[in-house]
Amino acid sequence: MVPFGGWEMPLAYASGTVAEHLACRREAVIFDVSHLGTVRVEGSGAKDRLQAALTNDLDKIGPGRAQYTHLLGDDGSVLDDIIVWWVSDKRFDVMPNASNTDNVVAAIGGKDVTATRAVFAVQGPRAKELLAAYSPALAAVGRFRVTEVELDGVTCVAAGTGYTGEPGLEVAVPVEHAARVWESIVATGITPAGLGARDTLRLEAGLPLHGHELGAGITPLQASLGWVVAWNKPSFRGKDALVAERDAGPARELRGILCDSRRPPRDGCDVLIDGRRVGAVSSGNFSPVLECGIALAFLEPELDVGTAVSIDVRGTMINGRVVQPPFVTTSRA
Amino acid sequence: MNIPDSLRYSKDHEWVRVEGGVARIGITDHAQDALGDIVFVDLPKVGAAVSGGQSFGEIESTKSVSEIYAPVAGTVSAVNEALESSPDLLNKDPYGEGWICEVTGFDAAALDALLDAAGYRALIGG
Repeated sequence: MVPFGGWEMPLAYASGTVAEHLACRREAVIFDVSHLGTVRVEGSGAKDRLQAALTNDLDKIGPGRAQYTHLLGDDGSVLDDIIVWWVSDKRFDVMPNASNTDNVVAAIGGKDVTATRAVFAVQGPRAKELLAAYSPALAAVGRFRVTEVELDGVTCVAAGTGYTGEPGLEVAVPVEHAARVWESIVATGITPAGLGARDTLRLEAGLPLHGHELGAGITPLQASLGWVVAWNKPSFRGKDALVAERDAGPARELRGILCDSRRPPRDGCDVLIDGRRVGAVSSGNFSPVLECGIALAFLEPELDVGTAVSIDVRGTMINGRVVQPPFVTTSRA
Repeated sequence: MNIPDSLRYSKDHEWVRVEGGVARIGITDHAQDALGDIVFVDLPKVGAAVSGGQSFGEIESTKSVSEIYAPVAGTVSAVNEALESSPDLLNKDPYGEGWICEVTGFDAAALDALLDAAGYRALIGG
């Protein structure tokens, strides 16, 4: 167990991070992601408040759908990346990162209901097939759909979302029923997985982590996430700064680096071409699927995919090349 | 935790097995468990001189990097090349197939400064 944003989180269960990672790519795993916040925003003004604060456009979806979006600072920095569950007409469950819930409440209002529920993420190519033995209704939740489901007679909210690159879903369970639901899901043959595998899975899928690829001084454009920004919305917080950056072109862009060695690059390592620094690693580790080191890195924007680079890992140069993430082809339908 | 009685141990969680003037070195069961899944081992070069208590390599797991310290001074006479493609041997069999290297030319008296199994068990609170 390790401390994480005020929560005690399992880094790995008995089988270990690599086995949990491969179980998610090949079969199915369950994560306890209760550390993600839930901010409930309700009422007739709820949608307008979210539209004014967040970068993505809720008019692209509707009730019963989920959307990935950003909350920016006035300078265009990504204060948080967020999944919005549009649960019903006038109710939104907004899910920020563990440590950012207070910032999000300050920006959009609503009520922090994090302590009332647990959230489990069930992910993997066989997730829905295995879940069907426990709850056909849960197994039927479609990609980016949001719906209430009854589990053991208790009303829960499920969404076809996750952060591994695999198909699956996340389900919010009233906290007093959480242990029972967890045990029922594990009993279907789904493997418990910890924070370690969650990080290597999201890295292999090329998904950003707040504090590494997103945060103070990092805009959605630098993080190569321009698709999260609805430029046609009349306004959202940080829009002016972001428009200026778009017009000038971002000074750095997030790319992947695929290494020749098993040695894991790490956050902060310099990226070089012929000894000249061209960027820095924001996240790096060993890819259990590819069996080599992989990294996300902020690089000079003119570097093309395929460019040979080296990464300075505490004085040892690791050779690699620039790639467009994801690093692996996932089975997400 | 598995702590074989036949080995000597350093406070840095390495073990040493001496046979015929060769000291074979690895990391303990306790160390591999604390490191988590090991994905890369930076081995020393054969012929390299190592100093007692000094770092001579690195072990990378999915969660962190750790240095390997030489429990005795000497010259590296062999390294476990199987670790280059299967570093997980350190997790699976830390006292057997997961050995790291062998050292010759060490001072036998230096072994006396290492812990026995009971002393190492006391060190790790097990």
